[in-house]
Amino acid sequence: MSTFELLGMGFQNAFALSALLTIVIGLMLGVIAGALPGVSFVNAMAMALPFTYSMMPTQAMLFLGAIYVGGVFGGSISAIIINVPGTPASLPACWDGYPMTQRGEVRRALAVAIAASAIGGLTSALVLSFAAAPFATFALRFSQPEFFAATVLGLISVIAISKDRPIVSLLSLFLGMVIGTVGVDPIYGVARFTFGVPAMQSGINFVVVMIGLFAISEVIDLIATNRDLRPSKGVNVQSKVTLRDFWDVRGAIFRGSAIGSILGVIPGAGATPGAVIAYGIEKQVSPDGDKFGTGIMAGLAAPEAAKNATTGSAMVPLLTLGIPGSAATAIMLAAMMLHGVNPGPLLFLNDPTMVYTIFAAMILANILMIFAGIGVAQFFSTLMKTPPAVLGAFIILLSIIGAYGVRNNIFDVYVCIFFGFVGWGMKRIGFPTAPLVLGVILGPLAERYFMTSLANYNQDWTVFFTRPISGTILALAAVFALWSLWPVLRARYRSVVLLLADRPGR
Amino acid sequence: MRKLGRFAFGGVLVAGAFAMANAAIAQDYPNRPIELVVTFGPGGGADVMGRQLAQILETELGVSIPVTNVAGASGNAGLTRLRTSPADGYTVGTLISLTVASWAADIGDNTPEDFRVLAIVQSTPSFLYVAADSRFETAEQLLDYARDNPGELTVATSGYGTQDDVALITMAEQGFDMVNVPFSAPGERYTAPLGGHTDLIYEEPGDVVQFLESGEYRPLLIFSEARHPEFPDVPTSGELGLNMVYLNTFRTLAVPAATPEDVVARLEAAVVAATQTDAWQAFCAQTYTCLEPVTGEAAQQEILTFFDAIAAQLED
Repeated sequence: MSTFELLGMGFQNAFALSALLTIVIGLMLGVIAGALPGVSFVNAMAMALPFTYSMMPTQAMLFLGAIYVGGVFGGSISAIIINVPGTPASLPACWDGYPMTQRGEVRRALAVAIAASAIGGLTSALVLSFAAAPFATFALRFSQPEFFAATVLGLISVIAISKDRPIVSLLSLFLGMVIGTVGVDPIYGVARFTFGVPAMQSGINFVVVMIGLFAISEVIDLIATNRDLRPSKGVNVQSKVTLRDFWDVRGAIFRGSAIGSILGVIPGAGATPGAVIAYGIEKQVSPDGDKFGTGIMAGLAAPEAAKNATTGSAMVPLLTLGIPGSAATAIMLAAMMLHGVNPGPLLFLNDPTMVYTIFAAMILANILMIFAGIGVAQFFSTLMKTPPAVLGAFIILLSIIGAYGVRNNIFDVYVCIFFGFVGWGMKRIGFPTAPLVLGVILGPLAERYFMTSLANYNQDWTVFFTRPISGTILALAAVFALWSLWPVLRARYRSVVLLLADRPGR
Repeated sequence: MRKLGRFAFGGVLVAGAFAMANAAIAQDYPNRPIELVVTFGPGGGADVMGRQLAQILETELGVSIPVTNVAGASGNAGLTRLRTSPADGYTVGTLISLTVASWAADIGDNTPEDFRVLAIVQSTPSFLYVAADSRFETAEQLLDYARDNPGELTVATSGYGTQDDVALITMAEQGFDMVNVPFSAPGERYTAPLGGHTDLIYEEPGDVVQFLESGEYRPLLIFSEARHPEFPDVPTSGELGLNMVYLNTFRTLAVPAATPEDVVARLEAAVVAATQTDAWQAFCAQTYTCLEPVTGEAAQQEILTFFDAIAAQLED
């Protein structure tokens, strides 16, 4: 049977009432969990796992897949409305989404985010359906040096997203990388920076840091400044959403979708680096690049498309090779194993119906997500009418539950509250917080990839440059860094020249 | 005075109720949900084992058994939680070989004496595999090459200071020096030989079933005293003249050491009964981990033996 016939069969199954209901319920749960600050889609999927025991294997996968798709989007709702990212991948949605809300254009921001996410997700679901096999071969060629190079690209993009203060951003990034080293190291199993406290051996989880830095600190700021989260101008009536808006950001959506689809196959933290790199690249490419951070639609659309575009491609290695690249796909793997299904190349031969039903469902889920997204977003918009005190209490409560829920560890709650105060202090002195979170996420990955690369290639560090894919990515990273730094360097150069010219006696 | 009398009477009642409740614990046990602490994140071998067992134990014990994942510090975060929970049988945890190995490297604040192993429910020897297109057809070819080219072949393992590492060090001591390439993320480890990034992979068969069934992995040799019934053609390390300490990967359920005897007995019986069910047999067959569950003193001893073997290797 051809791919089209198989996919047709898959759609028939996915449109069955029970399957459709499963997808819709999963989507709603995912979007809500994603939108709640602190409760990530990984939590939601782990909580949903026991409910899948009684389902058929395919239905279980549809349920978890829908939560995944919905959850990756949902994080942006709270990012746009209250400046608190629901999941780490929604960090960039704060940068241009929230300023739009402050201008009263919340509806426009949400509409662009939903459309971009859906198109990104759809692109990636189509890649999964039609190009899973070549993509899997591509993924196999990636080894540790390539993963390291891709992580470096993610770290470098911090320079691109920093407005005009690359040094301060780098400082923040390095601080995050140091925080990321706390705990038992993944290679030698040595405890680092634990100060003899056993609880510290589990390390500092990046989700916990993020909840503290963004959610808790926002509430502290709310209390300290007695300010109102509601936009000063109210919801602008003129912010009607037009088709023109979507057409204007088509390039951003296209680039974001491509970046996300490719980065999604890399194990580790696919969605977050995908979104950040897409934002950084868009900032360089877009004619409005220098205005990014003030509420530019392209700056919202690109990372939104990218993060949802990682959902389909993250499932490529899972379904074709049986390799989970992320926490979300690991949970899907567990669900399959508990049903006695082993994903991998044989699954395509033994049970193509199941595989293509999952493909069809991923396509369908991304389309249905538009409606689920609008529904939940409308509900969340009412939050903006809530008095700040009530909203603050609500965020604190969810944050603490979320911090605990990451690993069911009470220590994480203390860490989260600590980072709440740290984040508030950083914001007060104008020290950027986003690079720190990226450092905590990407630092440990970079270290692990670096160490394993060296072990694998005879302790020879030149492999990073001599292997073609790795070398290309690193060269890209270097170009990217210079390109982003160029305006700053030029300004510095000019001021030095001026300074010298001004010297008396010359 | 009357008030005081009533208060005293109430106190006696409450105390009596507590005493009765205490006496009733063992008889009624279990009468409320039992928390199963899985000491690793969702999706791993310990998690799948724990969830499968929890599902079966719910019918055996007649109470619900919610699973909580407490990951971190090679499983020690969850074990610390288990150790500090009341020793009343209402908190059970997973204890696996990887965590025991981490104790030898001074990770965590737990010791083998802190826990009472209910049963070793899964145990499996490991193999060395090559990818389907590897130049090595037999174990002899592999060993000859490793002897003639020390430090050239690379093996994907789960890390340093693990049973994988000990096996490779023991082989190196006997003249077969291969490089340990640590991959702590299982997915990356499985990909390494497939993408041609390492020559071999050291792994238990249950974790790579999909690659064995599809023929993408070929097992070359097994680290075990006897051949594996499912892989009768794969020679053992002993047959090839290697002198190894056999360190199986194992997974157990454990409770805090102070848990009352009768509660332990009840749980132990339930776990053993659970492993006899069709559901469990199908699961362990799928993951090549079936064994007669080891309980009591024998289980405790097996953990100590494993711990000592790793510790001895790390001292060198």
